[in-house]
Amino acid sequence: MKRIASLLLALCLCLSCVAVAGAEGKTYQVGVLQLVQHVALDAATQGFQDALKEALGDSVNIEVKNASGEFNNCTTIANDFVAGNVDLIMANATPALQASVGATGDIPILGTSITDYGTALDIADWTGTTGINVSGTADLAPLDGQAEILNELFPDAKTVGLIYCSAEANSLYQVRTIAGYLNELGYETKEYAFADSNDVASVTESACECDVLYIPTDNTAATYTETIANVVIPAGKPVIAGEEGICVGCGVATLTISYYDLGYATGKMAVKVLTEGADISTMPVEYAPQFTKKYNAANCEALNIQVPEDYVAIE
Amino acid sequence: MDFAKLLNALPGAASQGVIWGMMAIGVYITYRILDVADLTVDGSMATGGAVAAVLITQGVNPWLAVLCAFLVGMLTGLLTGLFHTAMGIPAILAGILTQLALYSVNLRIMDGKANMAVNVNKYWVLVSSRNVRVLSLQNPICLTLLLTVILIALLYLFFGTEYGNALRATGANQNMARAQGINTSRAKVVGLMLSNGIVAFSGAMLTQYQGFADVQMGRGAIVIGLAAVIIGEVVLGKFFRSLWGKLLCVSVGAIIYYFVMQIVLWLGLNTNDLKMLTALVVAIFLAVPYWKGLAMTRRAGRGKEEKHA
Repeated sequence: MKRIASLLLALCLCLSCVAVAGAEGKTYQVGVLQLVQHVALDAATQGFQDALKEALGDSVNIEVKNASGEFNNCTTIANDFVAGNVDLIMANATPALQASVGATGDIPILGTSITDYGTALDIADWTGTTGINVSGTADLAPLDGQAEILNELFPDAKTVGLIYCSAEANSLYQVRTIAGYLNELGYETKEYAFADSNDVASVTESACECDVLYIPTDNTAATYTETIANVVIPAGKPVIAGEEGICVGCGVATLTISYYDLGYATGKMAVKVLTEGADISTMPVEYAPQFTKKYNAANCEALNIQVPEDYVAIE
Repeated sequence: MDFAKLLNALPGAASQGVIWGMMAIGVYITYRILDVADLTVDGSMATGGAVAAVLITQGVNPWLAVLCAFLVGMLTGLLTGLFHTAMGIPAILAGILTQLALYSVNLRIMDGKANMAVNVNKYWVLVSSRNVRVLSLQNPICLTLLLTVILIALLYLFFGTEYGNALRATGANQNMARAQGINTSRAKVVGLMLSNGIVAFSGAMLTQYQGFADVQMGRGAIVIGLAAVIIGEVVLGKFFRSLWGKLLCVSVGAIIYYFVMQIVLWLGLNTNDLKMLTALVVAIFLAVPYWKGLAMTRRAGRGKEEKHA
């Protein structure tokens, strides 16, 4: 058994060497590993693909694989990419990045939709570069700015309910951070964590005891915005969202980054790595280039909320 | 179709399969030996991962970390066992309840964080998916295969003891076992503890292999576990009659499962369909023995008719 296994292993190695030699110098192979299907991540992947296609045209072959929310699939897909010896892996969302980093120490990996690289990669003294085969873009929303728009729209509110999914480390980080800003502005904050689709509605229900609700860039919440909307709109509670996708579903306003732009910026980084031979380990992680105040016209109307003129309606 | 790429992906699939194979051996103990469908595993898998991640990032020896994961896993089994035997909750529900509770427990273990990285560059880990194409003892396949062999040997010895036989008797015929003076409730609790200990152990290995622990990492584990048990039985079942052979079948079943997944990926099918394909693969393997049985009885029936005539 063992001998057969080692023989097989040796065979694989030989064949992979042949495969690599054959593929050199033609088209770039890029693997995209996305954690789960939802608006923000889809937009980032789209932006990434567009940037690459624009710069490299037909000389790049992008393979998009989605783990459908199952963490174990991330490892399987990352293994598939490493086996295919892709030139670059784009990992969309934290577990996708971790699985890719676990799978290879050589192939350059660009992350996107990552909130905090220091936490995701367990780098204690985070300085902006990873020092390993990883760089990318962070989707950290401007939390102080979001606290400010909440204050701008609801100056009379007293309590703010912070809704997030307890399965997401990045959400907890954001919730804790924005709670600090909100407390400084004189609001009382309370955390409401749900575990999955089954208790989203009831947790949101209990959060409605607060005057205003806030949802960070939470992948799970982004998936269940309709469920949340069905609770908060009848209850008359406005939601300030961490990003546009959530705002479209159940929010009234947001100070958002564009995940498409973020993906696009990641794509540009990929071009640098692929064609200019940039050293990924010294490439600083990039942040969203600009933030936009946006509002959800239908929900604002339903809740009778007037937004200042510098807010852009979400189409 | 780049065949070399598939071959190159197989070592990764194999080691993932071997790690999940240990988990499936845990499932085998409850599902086949004890005849209990235990859904605790979705939670205890993540518990094992969480314990290992916390300890390893604290600088604890990884061997000690996986041992702790095993022990904590046994506690989760104990909980399910008590729900089932002391509180009279049906086994399947008891498992679901523990699995629910474990979500919160796992969050507590990881200090409220849903996800914890175990950086292979920073900590001493036993296995890493990074070394899967390296031809040395560092290769995770070597260690995981060795651990599987040891695990099977230990279980084989255990189920050969008087108490091990009592466990098997409990699963085979509870009333008969009780008539023989076996405390079947206790036997079930012990079986559940053993099973979940192994599952948590495999979760601890998986965490090191993939480089992170996550509260959701056990999601769907029971499906993979059962798939491995059944695939192993269908493909190799007729060659092995002894217990160690059957446990080996389970491990091979898990490897086959991951080979199939890797092939599906290699074929370039849309990954949005991956879950449907998984369900189909398992359904087909489940159906094969049933169809075989049908064909058998039909043949037997025909034989009888001929005799009557």
